[in-house]
Amino acid sequence: MEKTEQIIRETAKELFNSGRVEILIGYEKGTLPFRTRPVFIRNAAEADRLVWNSWCSNNLAVYLPGLFEQKKHKKNEAPPLPPKVGIVAKSCDVRSVINLVREHQIPRQNVVIVGVPCSGMLDAAKIKALLDNEVVTEVAEDGNTVSITGRSRSSGTKVKRDDVVFNACLECCSPMPEGVDLLVQGTARNASQNKYDRVKEFESMAPGERWNYFLSEISRCIRCNACRQVCPNCYCKECFADQTNPRWVDAGDDISDIMLYHIGRIFHQAGRCVECDACTRACPMGIDIRTFTQKLACDVKDLYNFVPGFSPEEPLPLCTYKPDDKQDFITEP
Amino acid sequence: MEQGILAKTDMKKFIELLIKDHRKVFAPVSRKGRVLFTEVSSADEVKLDYRNTDLSPKGLFLPQCEAICTFTGDAFQEVPLTKDKQVVFGMRPCDAAALSHLDRVFTEGSQKDPCWLARRENTVIISIACSDPLDSCFCTSVDGSPVAKKGSDIMVYTIDDTLLFEAFTEKGKALLTLASSFLKKPKESALEARQKYESAAVKKVPALNLADIKEKLRGCFDLTLWSSIAERCLGCGVCTYLCPTCHCFDITDQTDGERGRRIRSWDSCQYSLFTLHASGHNPRPSKKERMRQRILHKFLYAQDNFKETFCVGCGRCIRSCPVNLDIKETIAVLAAGTGKGA
Amino acid sequence: MEEKRQTVQHEKTEEGWEPTIVAFLCNWCSYAGADLAGVSRFQYQPNVRILRVPCSGRINPLYIVKALQNGVDGVLVSGCHPGDCHYISGNLMARRKFALLKRYLGYLGIEPERVQFSWVSAAEGARFAELINKVVTDVKNLGPAKQLVKKAL
Repeated sequence: MEKTEQIIRETAKELFNSGRVEILIGYEKGTLPFRTRPVFIRNAAEADRLVWNSWCSNNLAVYLPGLFEQKKHKKNEAPPLPPKVGIVAKSCDVRSVINLVREHQIPRQNVVIVGVPCSGMLDAAKIKALLDNEVVTEVAEDGNTVSITGRSRSSGTKVKRDDVVFNACLECCSPMPEGVDLLVQGTARNASQNKYDRVKEFESMAPGERWNYFLSEISRCIRCNACRQVCPNCYCKECFADQTNPRWVDAGDDISDIMLYHIGRIFHQAGRCVECDACTRACPMGIDIRTFTQKLACDVKDLYNFVPGFSPEEPLPLCTYKPDDKQDFITEP
Repeated sequence: MEQGILAKTDMKKFIELLIKDHRKVFAPVSRKGRVLFTEVSSADEVKLDYRNTDLSPKGLFLPQCEAICTFTGDAFQEVPLTKDKQVVFGMRPCDAAALSHLDRVFTEGSQKDPCWLARRENTVIISIACSDPLDSCFCTSVDGSPVAKKGSDIMVYTIDDTLLFEAFTEKGKALLTLASSFLKKPKESALEARQKYESAAVKKVPALNLADIKEKLRGCFDLTLWSSIAERCLGCGVCTYLCPTCHCFDITDQTDGERGRRIRSWDSCQYSLFTLHASGHNPRPSKKERMRQRILHKFLYAQDNFKETFCVGCGRCIRSCPVNLDIKETIAVLAAGTGKGA
Repeated sequence: MEEKRQTVQHEKTEEGWEPTIVAFLCNWCSYAGADLAGVSRFQYQPNVRILRVPCSGRINPLYIVKALQNGVDGVLVSGCHPGDCHYISGNLMARRKFALLKRYLGYLGIEPERVQFSWVSAAEGARFAELINKVVTDVKNLGPAKQLVKKAL
């Protein structure tokens, strides 16, 4: 990991020195233990702020649409040139970037993707749960083993790395980033073969049980919109949930409105969601959003053989059709 | 009764008494790894070994959504105010202090908020003093402490295997009197132990040097710092929703044919819609203005208006911010007067 | 800000409860088919409320979910047969949206028979009547919709 971090810093310096980027988005040390946070660096001297470790769980692609927003300019002047932006990206983040290119939100030629192979990010919630309520003071990695130490000497445990990695990372089927401009040397975990096990497991439950689970999860929602704000695909200037005419979703905590918000937001991701897990990680109430976003990705793959984020040219599945698309859902009287 | 001692193992008895005697008891409950203030009907549901809840208890007094009136055709009907006797058990001193800050907003001046008042007047706040603050706590930097009494009716100190109850208000004293059958009078040694506990607790939260922060903030409007913080911010509003002193709300009408109701629900100054005018103009057009507004409101404007800082150092915004924006870091930089990007 | 909403008032008696179905019909085919059913005096259950849209491709999935929120017991969306769309490909685009929506609502635990999709042409008056009868019977067997319904004010 340290080697990868060093290479990222060198790469960043090189990109600035060659004038290839004006801004580089990466990760820096956070202010809390076991956190990193996004950093925007603007010259080679700041490159040493960049870090790479098992806590780099944010999807940085969310910042790109904002950086390429057309700025206001005087009528007789030429519009300002779009910036040259570099981004340190794991495979899921790269797919978000490619999807944004596909949706014409960012110009590909102005983005330098620095791809980093990923072994999966550690889930602080899983780690804390292992020590019950004890404060975790240290998390040390040694190959595939993670040693967790608590504040009191007697508490601590060693686990397999995969036991404390995010579920999303366990299911990742392309940990080696593709379609990048620069690939940093590093270790990627093995690609998962069983990506939609959770969807199949959920589908095997009785409908009433599935509804009850959905209800019990979604009723904890406080309508903070964090899931929407962290999502790189949610770049609409006016979200349907904020519209007042028509008023799709009311303000307030009516469970029916909360459901409509989530059903609407998740369905708007059909064929676009790259399953980066940012929404689930950002939710302050720990709602299992992932079980409900994965279904659409699973169906899009099953019905239309499409996985978003790999091709900047291929038409998105809901923007096209084939004459022989499946229609077994049609009612025949 | 002003003071009482109880064995730690008997805490359940006290909670059972609260449940028996009050219409509603709210206490920390663990649900799917999160600890939240929830209504409890048995002492077994209460989780007491926690540091602080994820959502602040402000929602018990300023609900996330409440109807303030209903209407049918032209006729308005008031929503009856609550008369339920309630207890909130297990609050932390920072959250209790936050309630007294919000009292300034909702009960002072010519317009008093009847919904807020009704809940506050009918609720007893029992706080538990902190012994194990988190890295992100900074109550001592904002006129608070892990053992501060402000806002609590009763404080409970956990000293070894005993609990020392102390009431500060008439409401609190009346409640302790109710429990006087099993609360014992504390010995001098217990009170001395409490002193020691208090000094130890305060030491665990080193205070930032925020001298002259008011004056520094007055001159900080145009610093580049704001752009660099806002760059990272996603405008998600989690900080404001979890914050025990944030209190902005929106009023909307929901109608169904002839009938309708007017509801008040939480809003956030971090949303782009917050100050959007009907004309399309927005005086706070970007995250930079909105982030600046939040910090200045809490640390400067509240001081100017109420002579109080509207931040209690609970650290929730730091812990839950998806991009680890850190208000502690921001105000430390502002207080130091460097003002360059964080 | 105001939300104008008319929730569906149900006769919630034990026997004699009648479901309310909202049908989004495309103007060129399905609506014409419904018209033909009427002109030809084909009898079908009266529980359906028809909303005419230019094309099935015009249907925003939110319309369907919103209808359920407002208390309808079932939703039918019907358009031209694939290949016959008046706008060439509107129904072909819609087909993908509907396929995903149907699977998604079922995944959440909403009864699949509540939201149905069909292709009915302008010449299929009798078929339209059969379709409505089928949908109404299906929904009647499920009982009143409860899952997404918003609380009445």
